[in-house]
Amino acid sequence: MVATPRKSVAFAVAAVGLLCAGTTSAQVACPVKIGGVLPLTGSMAPITKKIAQAAELAIEHINQGGGIKGCPVQFILRDDQGQPTVGVDAAKYLVEVERVAAFTGTISSGITGPIISSVTAPSRVVQITCCSTASAFTLDGRSGGYFFRTIPTSKTQAYATATETARRGFKRTAVIYVNTDFGTDMLRFYRQAVAKLGGDIVVEVPYNDNQPSYRAEVTRALAAKPESLLLIGFPKDAVTIVREWLSLGGPRQVALNNSMRTMDFVNGVGARFVEDFFGMDNAQVAGPHVDAFNRLFEEKYKADTKGPGIHTQYDAVMVLGLAMNIAKDLTGPSIRDAVRQVHAPNGTVVGTGPAEFRKALELIRAGRPIKYHGATGPIEFDANGDVTGPALVWRITNGQIVTDRVISIEEMQALFKRIDG
Amino acid sequence: MIAQALADGIFTGAIVALGAIGVSFTLQIMRFANFSHSELITWGAYLALVFVAFAGPGTPTGPFTFGWQLLAAAAMAALLTGLAAWGVDVLVFRRLRRRGAHPLAMVFAAFGAALVMRHLVVLVWGHESRFYTRELQIAWQVMGVKVLPDQAFILLLAVAVVTVLHLFLAYSRTGMAMRAMAESPALAQACGIRTEAVIRTTWIVSGALAALAGVFAGLTPQLHPEIGFNLLLALFAAAILGGSGSLPGAVIGGLLVGIAENVALLFVNPGYKGAMPFLLLLLVLLVRPQGIFGEKGER
Repeated sequence: MVATPRKSVAFAVAAVGLLCAGTTSAQVACPVKIGGVLPLTGSMAPITKKIAQAAELAIEHINQGGGIKGCPVQFILRDDQGQPTVGVDAAKYLVEVERVAAFTGTISSGITGPIISSVTAPSRVVQITCCSTASAFTLDGRSGGYFFRTIPTSKTQAYATATETARRGFKRTAVIYVNTDFGTDMLRFYRQAVAKLGGDIVVEVPYNDNQPSYRAEVTRALAAKPESLLLIGFPKDAVTIVREWLSLGGPRQVALNNSMRTMDFVNGVGARFVEDFFGMDNAQVAGPHVDAFNRLFEEKYKADTKGPGIHTQYDAVMVLGLAMNIAKDLTGPSIRDAVRQVHAPNGTVVGTGPAEFRKALELIRAGRPIKYHGATGPIEFDANGDVTGPALVWRITNGQIVTDRVISIEEMQALFKRIDG
Repeated sequence: MIAQALADGIFTGAIVALGAIGVSFTLQIMRFANFSHSELITWGAYLALVFVAFAGPGTPTGPFTFGWQLLAAAAMAALLTGLAAWGVDVLVFRRLRRRGAHPLAMVFAAFGAALVMRHLVVLVWGHESRFYTRELQIAWQVMGVKVLPDQAFILLLAVAVVTVLHLFLAYSRTGMAMRAMAESPALAQACGIRTEAVIRTTWIVSGALAALAGVFAGLTPQLHPEIGFNLLLALFAAAILGGSGSLPGAVIGGLLVGIAENVALLFVNPGYKGAMPFLLLLLVLLVRPQGIFGEKGER
């Protein structure tokens, strides 16, 4: 599947030639390449399998629905191993050697950030992530408008977490957080929200991933005599941390972030030890388009769509597919502008699956606006390239992950107003 | 607080020490830095998992989360990993040694072997975390220090293993031959020591100790294919810190690395934890380059 270097160079030369000739017609070299980077191995691997499957499914639906500008789409997925250097190398390879027209990835904000600053933004390649929530990417101007995400930023999750911990009467909270953009971001917004909503943080302990043991970090947190814990991190290390926390006599009032909404976490710690632990995630909007995605995914992979990132990854790729058809050519700036037309205010609603994609293509060809309702609901990017969305509170009951309550988008907006003033 | 950090350091240090002994031996007896040693830890942990899958970890005995079955599994894993270590030597390192390969070539070969070994584990067992036991134990309070019963047991077992190893090195013929090789391979050969036999024993002993380190690391609390790799730099820091080729050196080095990581957290941001063993290592290299127990003028 992967082109030989010589072919890629030939392709690159051809592409440059095409640009220099100033061709304005929508003439495109087949197949159209979309690049992806995800942590297929490493500490995020347990949750990545389904996310990668969701991306593959979206590519399949795009191809069945008519491809991009008449061409079939080739998806080239590379592993970032959970490491920034590896992720940047992989993205560089995709953009500079494979010459992908657009890019999706990755999960960890600590890797997505360097990819934006050193690969996609300077090369003017549109990047959509399923899962990186660090707010800085879209606020500090580093992306030049080429970066989008289909997941609400960590601010949404942090504020939702704070309103829930306040509701449950969390006092003297210890925060143990992964020492990445994502972790520090979550903590910063949580701190802001707690100040307004009630509760107090007694100690903040960062941790680095992939350590054999976290006894030292847990001991340091426990020294502050906390009455509750907020753990912000990723499932594999979180299993170790929670087990050590409980072993060393830590209180059982524990809040978690969205990454822990996986049975790997519940079974890893042991279901009977995590009873009534709760966490946040982005809420699943109900509706026919969401159901359609769930059904197609379950049919294809014989697995349910529970877990973080699956719906958002599908939408990330589908948005690319739609935008690349809307764009007048497959250059970065054209695709970037087209991403904003995927959800036109007066457009005809199109949903998930190959049939809906085909419908969207017909509308685009007829020059009519579309309004994409994806696997996570309506996808509308704000000026920064972020989406907003409802949140849900989940908890672990009898070894199962169940939804506790949903914080609607209206409640969320009110919450933002109350905290940000 | 400081007592707790010391205790935690000793517990993690014991596991590092078991792995560092093997690194130290290969450094001194075979004269190369074996970067694939960490993978023997992973193999040991997963081989024990095979036996645990058949026999179960056993019913929790006393305050511990496991029964005799896990110990039997650890013993089997130690034996098999020892043989595997020797197998890797026969397949890779012996060929290079006979060809008189440059030590640097050996190091690169070790990197290659490490990658192959790690990905074999991924191939067979996959990326998901695995567990010997789902039990969770509550810490004992011993004079204000929180101690997990399993960890206390591991520490005692590690002490017993190191003691036996020390007696073996001090009094058995093979042990003495190993020490002679460590002093000078050429002289040892001139004295009629069968160097290949010594090297084989060294691999088997190093592999067995690595396997025990792997089982102990996996017990608190999970196994994953990077379990050994994540310990690699700590192993080398410990081996060099103690002085290569010295058994007490490797043990003390391991404990110091563990303690340095844990005690440092009282003063610095936990984000810098991983750097602590290396600051210690730099300090030793500057002040006493042969290591704490190393012979002066050896290298």
